[in-house]
Amino acid sequence: MKVWKRTGIVALAVIVTGAARMPVEHRLTAEMRAAGLMPATLDISTRERIGQTSAAVALGGLRTLVATFLNLRAFGFFTEQRWSNVDETYRLIVDLAPRTRYYWETASWHQAYNAAAYYQNQSALPALRRREAWRSSIVRGLEILDQGISNMPDAWPLHVQRGFLLRDPNKIRAFGDPEASFLAAAESYARAAEIEGAPEYARRFQFYTLARVSGREAEALALGRELHAESTAHHAPTLLSVLFALEMWENPEADAKALAIDLFGTEERAVEQLGLYWQRVRERFPTHGVARALEALYDARGTPASERIINQPPPRIYDPEEAFAPGPPQHD
Amino acid sequence: MAREMEEKTTPAVEIENLVKDFRTSFRRLPLRAVNGVSIRIMPGEVYGLIGPNGSGKSTTMKALLGLLAPTAGRCAIFGRDSLKVDSRMDVGFLPENPYFYKHLSGAETLAFYGKLCGLRGKALRERIGELLELVDLEGARHRRVGGYSKGMLQRIGLAQALVQEPRLLILDEPTAGVDPVGSRQIRDLVMRLRERGITVFLCSHLLEQVQEVCDHVGIIYEGRMIREGRLEDLIAIEDQTEIILKDADETLVAAVRELVAGHPGKASIIREGRPKTTLERLFLRETIGREDH
Amino acid sequence: MNEPQAARATHIGRTLVIASNTFTQLVRMKVFYFLAVFGVIAIASNFFDMPQHTGPEAIGANVLRSIKSWSLGAMTLFSVVLAVVATALLLPKDVEDRTLYTILAKPVPRLDYLAGKLLGVLALIFVSLLAMDILMTAVLHIRTQIVLDQQMTLAAAMGYTEEARESLRAETLAQGPNWSLQAAVLAVFLRAAVIAAVAMLVSTFSTSTLFTAVISFLIYFIGHFQADLRSAWLAGGADGEGWIARGVSLLVSLILPDFQLFNVVDAVIEGQLVSIAVMAKLIGVGLFYVIFYTLCSWLIFAEKEF
Repeated sequence: MKVWKRTGIVALAVIVTGAARMPVEHRLTAEMRAAGLMPATLDISTRERIGQTSAAVALGGLRTLVATFLNLRAFGFFTEQRWSNVDETYRLIVDLAPRTRYYWETASWHQAYNAAAYYQNQSALPALRRREAWRSSIVRGLEILDQGISNMPDAWPLHVQRGFLLRDPNKIRAFGDPEASFLAAAESYARAAEIEGAPEYARRFQFYTLARVSGREAEALALGRELHAESTAHHAPTLLSVLFALEMWENPEADAKALAIDLFGTEERAVEQLGLYWQRVRERFPTHGVARALEALYDARGTPASERIINQPPPRIYDPEEAFAPGPPQHD
Repeated sequence: MAREMEEKTTPAVEIENLVKDFRTSFRRLPLRAVNGVSIRIMPGEVYGLIGPNGSGKSTTMKALLGLLAPTAGRCAIFGRDSLKVDSRMDVGFLPENPYFYKHLSGAETLAFYGKLCGLRGKALRERIGELLELVDLEGARHRRVGGYSKGMLQRIGLAQALVQEPRLLILDEPTAGVDPVGSRQIRDLVMRLRERGITVFLCSHLLEQVQEVCDHVGIIYEGRMIREGRLEDLIAIEDQTEIILKDADETLVAAVRELVAGHPGKASIIREGRPKTTLERLFLRETIGREDH
Repeated sequence: MNEPQAARATHIGRTLVIASNTFTQLVRMKVFYFLAVFGVIAIASNFFDMPQHTGPEAIGANVLRSIKSWSLGAMTLFSVVLAVVATALLLPKDVEDRTLYTILAKPVPRLDYLAGKLLGVLALIFVSLLAMDILMTAVLHIRTQIVLDQQMTLAAAMGYTEEARESLRAETLAQGPNWSLQAAVLAVFLRAAVIAAVAMLVSTFSTSTLFTAVISFLIYFIGHFQADLRSAWLAGGADGEGWIARGVSLLVSLILPDFQLFNVVDAVIEGQLVSIAVMAKLIGVGLFYVIFYTLCSWLIFAEKEF
């Protein structure tokens, strides 16, 4: 009958236009993927993990909504301190919304900071198991940041977060060799600094971390001098202190007291800032000539031996702000 | 002048050897709903197509309106092929048991169909007023059609069919399911339209109605046209004569009987008695007619 | 000429009459009540904020995204459901109620009827999306200002430098209402328009509303895989699929529309920008689909018998 003939014509038209539009759509898809407008194809395991229903929804342009739901669920797990569930949920969330920096940051923060601290304080567990749980949580946190960076290479905060995590004095032992860790952190800060819109402190942190890698002191010194010369905005106490130590590393015979006064401006400031710097032993900063400079400054000021910081045992300062704050650190 | 002649001679409806098969699903054997039907209706005629349910009346009408494509044969309205959209310029159609958009009021319904026919603005508003008056629905002008009774639906349907002032009106079972009062109103409307010279093509299985309004009749049965022609010719019983007397006493009746018996030839009385009014007439007299007394 | 008094209506005129009738019909079917539901969603989405981080960045970082993903998610759902259900419902309803006879018995070409129906449904979706968009933009605008105030107060208290505060402000403003968000809403509309046209095509040969709806939703979901299957076909079996798999991927990519193309919603919620060029191409693709499917529907509908 005629209807069948018409249906045939329609079927043919659908196929012919289908063939015609195929290259056009393919190009447009490529263009939109390049512009970051098209979500990358979900891998099969994600589809399985979310389950049939959400997969259908997630495919229909509602990925971010499902991610919002899952974020709520993850928050529930977080309050219940069910860390493996938190991790599992965030794996799904970042699969669904791989370009939302917040999810990468939060996922990493939960593992590297919250879960790690939780395991550290878990006195019911044997020490060895506690340490292992603590260590693997921190390593997992780093891994999440690395994945985030490969998905959003232009997000400088992720690079900065990676740097903070790697050089964190409370976590650095989880990564094995501290110097390798400082070097990796320095590279992270360097990459962050290259990205447009990154804050200036990224380069200072590159300097601080590079200074702690043996064999890279000369490179660090050059960077420190460059920053020092560039702007007074860079003249943070830490920068001046590290720069002092590296100058003394390069030229051990130099007049430590004169150099300190030169850098810090006044004798008073020099003795105060270098004193504080001396106490930050847990951070493994270079201390070349610091003791000598302090001794000379104390002598000049007539400070009694009992009040000299270098004669006191190193303090056990624990500053959670430094470990947890994602923003620019306050001691800077 | 030539055009006037042409208008007189072009049939309003021309159906030639219409055949329509329906493919019943899965069974390969097609069902022949209409088999070689030909109908010609001249302008001004009121044509009634009668037949039992399923005899092919509706199929014939749908083919005429282009809602169906004929398997064979052709249909035309005022000389225009039914398969062309143009053929529907001059025709109004009221389907069997019509439902209109429930969400529209009576006036909005007419406006909708009027706009489809290209009516606009003041002309449209005036036409709607006229039609609502014609079908006696002015009181229900702003009521949603969803709340209309069966008879009101039929009447708004009729108004809708007339909206662009067509010269041909096609009515499919116009009084089916309508109470006698509504039925009477519709019949009166059709009569009035006939007076205005509008050609009407209606189909029904209610013979009495057809007899009352139509001047031409076709009888269709199992897809075939059995009889067709002028109503008077078809129903007259040629060898009988009817005399109805009023206030006749027994002697007069006896005299008539004698006269017939004594008349040369073979004339005879077949039946005598009191003629009965129809139940319908009684009903109408006791309901609507009551006010007149 | 034998023309009746009324001037002949134009194609566009008739199409618009049917479209506005369809629009009124849907409005009087009370479909706009769902806008109230949307209002509740848009306002409720304000409460999905979780204090997870410390620091100014974390204030409201979630809530702005939450407002957008809830609102755009609801828009997507409403528009697609409305497109499929309204289209699948209206055509068979006209046939069942025999209203279609009265319309087609007027000098109305069947293409005008189909185009009018589709246009009516699209007008309804457009107006609904517009209302939802305005509400979302308003909520988002107000909330962005609140978030920004809180962030700046805390940032100042924590001694952020001017530079750091500016960067934070720019980042937060990017999460607020912008043109890419409007582009995402337009993409949602385009997708709904395409699926409505598909539903209309299906309903011209389907025999039940349920069948039309189910098939249309199926096409909608599979249409989101179309791009994957197309690239599988274009890759030429590099991943070692069998010829059956290749045949299926070719067939699907030939027959089904690519709904993934209109799926910029997620990227926009995540802060990506949509260029005018991409938007123009999307509009082009959407128009192509709608017109093509309408013509296909007409080809079948023109031969339909009632």
